[in-house]
Amino acid sequence: MSGADLTQLDTVLEADVGIVGAGPGGMAAAARLAAAGVRVVVLDEGQRAGGQIYRQLPVGMHNHGVVQEPPSHDDGHNLIQSFEGHAKDGGEIELVRGATVWDAQPGRLWFEHDGVSRLLRCGHIVLAPGAYDRCIPFPGWTLPGVVTAGALQVMVRGFGVVPGKRALVVGSGPLLLPTVTSLLGAGVEVVAALEASSRMRALRAVPAVAFHAARRREAMWYMKQLWRNSVKLQWGWTVFACEGDGRVERAIIGKVDAHGRPRKGTERTIECDVVGAGFGLVPSIEVGMRLGADTHMLPVRGGHCLVVDGEQRTAVATVFAVGETCGIGGAEVASAEGELAAAAILRELRGTTVASAVVSRARAERRAADSMLGAFAPLPGLHDLARPDTIVCRCEDITRLRAQEAAAMHGDSMRAIKIGCRAGMGPCQARICGPSLQAMATGVNACAMDVPVVQVPLKPVSSETILTAPQ
Amino acid sequence: MSGRIAGLGDRELVVFTFDDQEVNARQGDTIAMALWAHGQVTVRNSSSEGQPRGVLCNMGICYDCLVVVDGVTVRSCTTLVKPGMTVGRGGKS
Repeated sequence: MSGADLTQLDTVLEADVGIVGAGPGGMAAAARLAAAGVRVVVLDEGQRAGGQIYRQLPVGMHNHGVVQEPPSHDDGHNLIQSFEGHAKDGGEIELVRGATVWDAQPGRLWFEHDGVSRLLRCGHIVLAPGAYDRCIPFPGWTLPGVVTAGALQVMVRGFGVVPGKRALVVGSGPLLLPTVTSLLGAGVEVVAALEASSRMRALRAVPAVAFHAARRREAMWYMKQLWRNSVKLQWGWTVFACEGDGRVERAIIGKVDAHGRPRKGTERTIECDVVGAGFGLVPSIEVGMRLGADTHMLPVRGGHCLVVDGEQRTAVATVFAVGETCGIGGAEVASAEGELAAAAILRELRGTTVASAVVSRARAERRAADSMLGAFAPLPGLHDLARPDTIVCRCEDITRLRAQEAAAMHGDSMRAIKIGCRAGMGPCQARICGPSLQAMATGVNACAMDVPVVQVPLKPVSSETILTAPQ
Repeated sequence: MSGRIAGLGDRELVVFTFDDQEVNARQGDTIAMALWAHGQVTVRNSSSEGQPRGVLCNMGICYDCLVVVDGVTVRSCTTLVKPGMTVGRGGKS
């Protein structure tokens, strides 16, 4: 971002449609709206369009096939090209980079941008904030060098940084594959790739992949990359602990049972200087909840998700939600739903019809994703990895034992645990510990956990930003 | 060992300091990625225990990579490097 961009940006922006997130869902919605002449402002926390899945390198860097990309990234490049075509000077799309949305009302999005408090006024809102990695606490997961799978993707694909020399990849779900191939592309030795699900459980995903041409091609590409580099996915294995002096130097790995519970006597030590852990994704629903959208718990889609109707509309008539915030489904789902939301908004603004092909494509992509991801729904037994002295809330340094004591003394609800020990009260606002905190403190099934408490500011911003917020 | 992937193109050099050591970054780097490429994975001391912490999510969610820039606490993974910037460890020291 150049300095000129900053000075040109007004404190109050106006648009027909405000979009949160410049990933596939936000880009698809924006491009379709812009093509119809609708003025769109897109707020994104990153520095370039693409989102986490289609992360672009900083301006001035080009991949040119150095880090190999899966076939689906062609769709990403096309989407980015179409979006950025409309985002040029004089185009219908204005992309605000590095924008942190901290409050929202229908028709209004407040955000911090380069330390300045700004407001976007708009008619409709499309929420495409995406998702973040689901973290499962285990001993040593706070050591520097232990990062999420998504963090490794950002490092390699977003900044061209080599994560380490010897990497261990652990977790569950389809995202382990791109994590491994990114590491290989960066010249990192992948010492092991551990999938906690058993091979039998994962086989349930096969029909959904086999009957979906794009997913099938994608899966074949990943298998070829792994095979070429002699990396074998170990099913039913995970990390038990990480150790090291000031940073990760080795990991204890072992087998887990069908529920994800660690099996004693299977431990093995493996040397590594970086660990990428990816136990699936958690939908980012905070902005939607603040706007008044309803939520429901869908374990297959990663937990609490926003409820939308057949055209991506939330309980609030002017607020639409697409992609991961409605439940984890991947880039194909997000872009299809983004187009659908745009078509529904265009009917209201321009009187055009919503093509049935757009509706059926969004439904078909969502159906395919649901049937594939069912094989990787979070394993409850993985919560047994954390010992009593393992930190569960990283912001406040709260151990599992303290969270358990707080639950015993104050009650089993998420609110009671938070008040009882301050877990989940730090700057991440329970985004990291929240998806497992209540289950680890009380033993409740993760599917029965409370809906997250959403507070303003939705992300920590300076008090100056809050006090000077335009109205 | 961390570092940079070769062959992706070069960008303008940006020099800043972290805890009094000079770090060579590139235009467009976040503080977190410049430090990681430099081999510095610890950027913060945790709030009550003072344990070493570094990047966890790398996308602005976890606030575990907090650093102090000119007296202001920021996420090192979402804050871009600027020439001459003075960056200090976040959290308890």
